Amino acid sequence: MNEASLIGLFVAMVSFGALLYLAALGELIAEKAGILNLGVEGMMAIGAVTAFIAGAELNNPWIALLIAMIAGAILATVHGLFTVGLGAEQVVSGLALTILGLGLAAYLGKDYVGRTPGAELVPVDWGALSDLPWVGPILFTQAPLVYIAILFGVTAAFVLGKTRVGLALRAAGESASSADSAGHSVFKVRLAAVAVGGALAGASGAYLTLTLTPQWAEGLTAGRGWIAVALVIFGAWRPGRVGLGALLFGGTLALKTRLQTFGVDFSPIILSMLPYILTLLILVLISIQARKRPSPSPAGLGLAYRREER
Amino acid sequence: MKKPRLILREQPLAGGQPAAFGVGLLIALIVGILLLYGAGHEPFKVYSRMFDASLGDADAWAKTLNRAVPLGLAGLAVAIAGSMGLWNIGAEGQIMAGAIAAAWVARIGENLPGPILISGMLLAGVVGGGVLALGPALAKAKLGVNEIITTLMLNEVAIRLVQWLIHGPWKDPDSFNFPLAPMLPDQGRLPFLFSRAHLGLILAILSIVIAAVAVRYTAWGYELRIAGSSESTARYSGISLSKKILTVLLLSGAIAGFAGSIELAGTADRLTETLSNGYGFAGIIVAALALMRPSGVAAVALLFGAVQIGGQSIQTMGVSSSVSTILQAFILFGAIGAGVLSRYSIRLDNNSTTQQESES
Repeated sequence: MNEASLIGLFVAMVSFGALLYLAALGELIAEKAGILNLGVEGMMAIGAVTAFIAGAELNNPWIALLIAMIAGAILATVHGLFTVGLGAEQVVSGLALTILGLGLAAYLGKDYVGRTPGAELVPVDWGALSDLPWVGPILFTQAPLVYIAILFGVTAAFVLGKTRVGLALRAAGESASSADSAGHSVFKVRLAAVAVGGALAGASGAYLTLTLTPQWAEGLTAGRGWIAVALVIFGAWRPGRVGLGALLFGGTLALKTRLQTFGVDFSPIILSMLPYILTLLILVLISIQARKRPSPSPAGLGLAYRREER
Repeated sequence: MKKPRLILREQPLAGGQPAAFGVGLLIALIVGILLLYGAGHEPFKVYSRMFDASLGDADAWAKTLNRAVPLGLAGLAVAIAGSMGLWNIGAEGQIMAGAIAAAWVARIGENLPGPILISGMLLAGVVGGGVLALGPALAKAKLGVNEIITTLMLNEVAIRLVQWLIHGPWKDPDSFNFPLAPMLPDQGRLPFLFSRAHLGLILAILSIVIAAVAVRYTAWGYELRIAGSSESTARYSGISLSKKILTVLLLSGAIAGFAGSIELAGTADRLTETLSNGYGFAGIIVAALALMRPSGVAAVALLFGAVQIGGQSIQTMGVSSSVSTILQAFILFGAIGAGVLSRYSIRLDNNSTTQQESES
């Protein structure tokens, strides 16, 4: 194991971390408002395919990213309307959204499989900064979506923690009826949170087809949407901690392809189980702690709110 | 300003759910026509091919029924947990766990006579599924850990366990270095009933009938439904919730594991990483459409089986099989929408605050 390959590992860790962070942040926002959306995998797939198609047709990566985010938001809105508007079971609707998203992505992308990308988001040129030892390559040779992910994370932490909008959103997730009494429209707040969450999942998908892969194929998302769902719990519903978790889980993704180069005789498949097992342990830990202090999970998560049943 | 509002009906519309299901199907069919037309196909030709391939003759029925077996059992697993208000999102992984256990029995017992080997494999499947559900069941029963997430996480673990096995310890030495598990011994395959419809059909029907009777007519099922409708009522009537949670989640996992061993011995000829093929997730949709009632699961599973088999068949016409995936999602969304609306009536209010004030 030499320095270059170790730096390569950290570069990939940050890169994969950002991929997971974008999607997990979206899920966090929806869950903070009380809506569990198990459609992340489907929304990522839609983001990935629409970004690729838009890139191929319009040759502009930024417009492609925008379209992917809009597509993710639209798909998420389906979940929002069913769960918030009609009070449908969030678990069922979310899983159906995953199936719908994967199906639609396969349908839309059929003619684009194996094509060369029309647009890519290539690493930002930071000039001399990227020549710094260690920090340079790890932080200053990344693609734009990595910095965007960090920016979104900081913004989400600020908006959720320090603004009235964030307060309304958290109130909708903790106690919908209190939020309603306080004059917030639970319907609008929750719907908006789910849509924003979808846009971020779409951006995560776009990162796959505009930078990481950059190709379209069915099954491209490869279960990373589920890691995003796990991350929200792992990070105890806090944008900062979820970010650290994303780095850790991104590290396992990065390490997976590198175990052999490091001469470690350990199955990469077993390694890829790690995020899920860690999340399970954290969940159990949270529950044991919850006897002494309140659980970090939003109290109204997963509960439909029907005004007339208040 | 006139605002549409949903008002809960005092009595749900009679026949609401079957009707909602029909509406969902209709919406899906219309969406399908648009999708097919948009992709340059002739929708009705495609539909008629789908129908012929899934329900047209005995061979087609056999394929559809073989598909309905894992869908129905996964749906049953979800529905059993669901009748107590619990979500088993882990059927996908439990199917894999059942298949792993059954494949293990086939490895160590490859020289046993057929009936003994098959019984052993099916039993192992039940145990395997139960084992994967044990953690979430204990965590939920003893610590109150949300079972949705724990079961969901274990899906990914179980699928990777299969990958690991077929890339490593269980790799067939005769597979020319492809990651493939060895084929099952011939006597370890389920016998066919007609065409290629295998014994799993009878096993699935039996399971569903037994479960439906147990939930509907036994004291156990009564307690289950009480616990599902109200935690406090259950406590007052002396039902041990944590014991109930434990047994129900274990049973749910066991049923999904049973599906895994049936799928292995009936349809797949070896353990593969695609064996669970989304049945666990589809099972959640099947159970939701059946309103978590075991009795409804069979009918929904049959329809989904037909849609999936029909969807596969149209690939030869150059139609993406994703169309059938999309149809399944639309059946669900259409049915949820119609189902909710059948329980509500829509009124146009002149003033959106009147309702609120009259209640307070």
